[in-house]
Amino acid sequence: MAGFLRALVVAGIACGVLAACGPASAGSLQSRSVVFVSPGKTGEVFWDMVAETMQAAGRKLNMDVEVLRAERNYRTMQELGLGVVARARKPDYLILSNEESAAVPILEAAQSAGIKTLFLSNSLIGDDAVRLGAPRERLKHWLGDITTDLQTAGARMADALIGAARAGKWQSADGKIHILGIGGDEITPASIARNTGLDRAVKAAPDVVVDRMLFANWTQSEAEQATANYLSWAARKNIRPAGIWAGNDPMALGAIKAATAAGLTPGKDIQVVGLNWSEDALREIEAGHLLLTDGGHFLLGGWSIVLLRDYADGCDFADASPHVRVKTSAITRDNLASVGGLIKAHAFDRIAFERFRAKPGHCGQYDFSIEALVASLSSANAARAPGK
Amino acid sequence: MSASGQGTAAAPAASRSVIRSMIAATLPVLLLVQLLASAGLELSSFWSQMKQLDGRVARIAESRAQLIAEPLWKMRYTQVASVLAEILQDESIAAATVYDDTGAAVASVPARSAGHGTAEVERPIHYSNGNMAVQAGRIAIGYSYGTLYAEAGKVLERLLVVGLLATLATLIAMRMSANIFIGKPLSIMMSAIQRSKQDGRAYEADIRSSNEFGQLAQAFNGLQLTTSNALERLQYLAWHDPLTGLANRRSLTEQLLLLSGKAHAPDSLVAFCFIDLDDFKGINDTFGHEAGDKFLIHISERLRGAVDAGDWVARLGGDEFVVIRPEVASEAAAQAFAQHLLQAISAPVRLRDKQVVPRASIGLAVRRADDPELSHLPALADIALYHAKSKAPGTIAVLNDALQHDYRRRRELELAIPAGFAEGQFEVWYQSQVRLGGNELVSLEALIRWRHPDLGVIGPAEFLPLIESSGNGSRLTRYVLTDACRALQRLAAAGHPQIRIAINLPPSELADQSFADEMQETCARLGVAPSSLELEITEGSLINNIASAAETLCRLRRMGATIALDDFGTGYSSLAHLRRFPLDKVKIDKAFIRDIPGSAEDKAIVGVIASLAGTLELTLVAEGIERAEQAEAMIEMGVVFGQGYFYQRPQPLDDVLAWLADEQAPWIAEGEASIVPTGASLVSGMAG
Repeated sequence: MAGFLRALVVAGIACGVLAACGPASAGSLQSRSVVFVSPGKTGEVFWDMVAETMQAAGRKLNMDVEVLRAERNYRTMQELGLGVVARARKPDYLILSNEESAAVPILEAAQSAGIKTLFLSNSLIGDDAVRLGAPRERLKHWLGDITTDLQTAGARMADALIGAARAGKWQSADGKIHILGIGGDEITPASIARNTGLDRAVKAAPDVVVDRMLFANWTQSEAEQATANYLSWAARKNIRPAGIWAGNDPMALGAIKAATAAGLTPGKDIQVVGLNWSEDALREIEAGHLLLTDGGHFLLGGWSIVLLRDYADGCDFADASPHVRVKTSAITRDNLASVGGLIKAHAFDRIAFERFRAKPGHCGQYDFSIEALVASLSSANAARAPGK
Repeated sequence: MSASGQGTAAAPAASRSVIRSMIAATLPVLLLVQLLASAGLELSSFWSQMKQLDGRVARIAESRAQLIAEPLWKMRYTQVASVLAEILQDESIAAATVYDDTGAAVASVPARSAGHGTAEVERPIHYSNGNMAVQAGRIAIGYSYGTLYAEAGKVLERLLVVGLLATLATLIAMRMSANIFIGKPLSIMMSAIQRSKQDGRAYEADIRSSNEFGQLAQAFNGLQLTTSNALERLQYLAWHDPLTGLANRRSLTEQLLLLSGKAHAPDSLVAFCFIDLDDFKGINDTFGHEAGDKFLIHISERLRGAVDAGDWVARLGGDEFVVIRPEVASEAAAQAFAQHLLQAISAPVRLRDKQVVPRASIGLAVRRADDPELSHLPALADIALYHAKSKAPGTIAVLNDALQHDYRRRRELELAIPAGFAEGQFEVWYQSQVRLGGNELVSLEALIRWRHPDLGVIGPAEFLPLIESSGNGSRLTRYVLTDACRALQRLAAAGHPQIRIAINLPPSELADQSFADEMQETCARLGVAPSSLELEITEGSLINNIASAAETLCRLRRMGATIALDDFGTGYSSLAHLRRFPLDKVKIDKAFIRDIPGSAEDKAIVGVIASLAGTLELTLVAEGIERAEQAEAMIEMGVVFGQGYFYQRPQPLDDVLAWLADEQAPWIAEGEASIVPTGASLVSGMAG
């Protein structure tokens, strides 16, 4: 018996060494269990896609991903997370999104239970960050976080908008380019980052004025209403609205709808930008109504599995930093063809996640760019072939 | 006094009371002031509530502006609308509208029915964040004062009710306090006044408070005391003689009532002394009125000193005093008491260093205390006094039946005088004067008689004083004069124009010049020569008015009338009179004739008078010749004319004329009786 156990351990170590030595197939990797507590609702595109990429990556990297959905209820989220922590058979890794700082108790419970935890998309902020310190300091089992650089995204969106307006000479009587900003909210870091990106870009452009920064609670209908209000107001103020910056795609779609209702032709009379790479947005890009949709951060789900796989295999991303920041990318009409199918079909198994793992000796260094993504894509058929 | 007093007392009771007038005057003012004050208070409260509402709405506008700023700026107009809608919870707010910075209404809540009194407040909506501060728009709130109006209306209604209640309470309080503080003291004083009016005494108003009414009551009580003293003084003066301090005439009536009311024993006797001073006029004339008053005081003191404690003394006026002794044992005791009084009075008095002995006459009447005629005591005593004064001055006359009878007859005659004149009851009878010796009728004396329908023929001695005192003397004289003139006419017509008629002239006529005119007029009217008239006067009438008597007599004499001095010898028998006055005739009083020829003295007197008349060339007439020897004696003594029953009794003119007609033969003594009419024997007549 003891000999058998010893043989297992040795085999395990051997596998680890082997894996560390070079790219290994999923079959050769030691299986790990991951539980992801999603704050989103069932059917909420972004969080669904996060879970789907997570699961697709798990399949590629032999990580067993269990997804629990909080259905946008933070109490439910805490119950789910604490339930996982209390399980007899605890998962190897817990992935949480600290929306509204609701995941902090779960993080602390996981620390006590010795479960390695990774924050995705939303990390500790404010007092919590001060109190709990950096990953691996006081909370040894808090591995770190993986977030997207939404500020840059926001700025890139604004720049695209401004560029289009300038090109179209859509200045108002005052010689300025007047744009409308529609934010999701005013408190979440994800929203604040995007909005800050907008501000940053506008500050750098003296010929641009953000008439209003309206907040539409991430929803299409509110954005539509806000846009309608704005356009009406602008008409009364004799302002020529040049562009609408929307913090996400649904809000961008609402803005398009309102602009159309106001008699404008989005893409011709006014430009709209969004964020999220949503299928609807891609359609609007295709239709020429939407200038771009920035994003791709749903891929954080897959990228988080890549990080944990490397961590499990001894290549700790914290060697570079426990904070992994992933840049987003914009989909425009130019690159729509490359990724459009992937997104529309949710064919995330086409992504060769194993190719994104850190190179030996360069732990913590990853290239999650859209170019790398495009390059990693296999044909649809090929992608499906090795799986189950 | 009491009747008019009650009349004036009734008047204020009927008029409006002071308290009511006060209340009537105060109440409207009070009500008005209360209503005005409460309305003013409510108005100011309403005003301040309006200001409060203005302030509140302004604050609401400001707070809403703050709340709305962000949603407005962020164009969350639904949220703006819902925030705005909340302010409608304030029911004063009727409408609200939010305008954005373009002036467009982005949200509004519907106007409620505003009612009256609306206002609007407007406030800017400022939006700011870390980067900017802008005016995002403005908010306008319309609100209504309707609630305040309604509230104020209710409050006013309540104030009206409260005001009315307060006024009512005040009215009651005023009424009560006025009754206590005004009405009660007034009524106490009024009652004191009423009581004072009822019995003329001073009653104090029993008010002990120290307020104005207390002071008024004190003053009133003082006044009551003063009035009471004055009343007492008046009372005293009303019932007392101010000079002597004795009770006065008024007291007498009272005293008599008192006597009859509380007689000690029904059969006890009351002595009533009516005292009259004799010749008090003389004292006044001699010593002056001041001394006269002093004299009266002396007399009153003596009377006071002479009576007992139970006796009662009064001065009725002038020189009349009354003393009543309420209980005497008998009439004799009463007389003794009167005598005692007379003696007390008669003690000499010193007036201006002269001794004067007062003299008085007393009429005494004694009656049983239960006599129903007790109140007539003064009159009864006065009858007695009259008697005393007229018959025996300085004495006491006790009232008896005879005196009373005389008195009643006198009173009866006095009362019958006017009827006597009106019905021609006075008759003039004539008595002849003859030339002694031949018995030739030379003249007639007119003598008045009163043929009373009940009392028969009354002699002049009885009724002439009554005629004089009743002021009818002159009338009677003219009556006689007229009758005499008519008699002269008839005598002349009967063929006796030489017969003259003598008329008795009372003393009053001598003083009155008009008689001469009257006589002349009458003689002229009836065609009679005044020389046919002879006027008889008495010495007494000469004495009283020497100057005017002389003048009248001269005038009458000038007219042709003859003047005769009547009753000579009984009065002053002044020889000076015989010389001074223009006399033609002297009539010797019958008193000297009566005892002739028996009385040698009378014969001597008559003789002297006859020789004196002869010397003074006065015709002498002997009165009262009743017998032939008296006539003879007169002739012997040289008296030419005579008058008397021996010749003829007084008789009506018709009888005289009848007699004259028969008289052609010499007069015979036996014829006398045959011609004397019935009833003529009663009185001899003043000249008879």
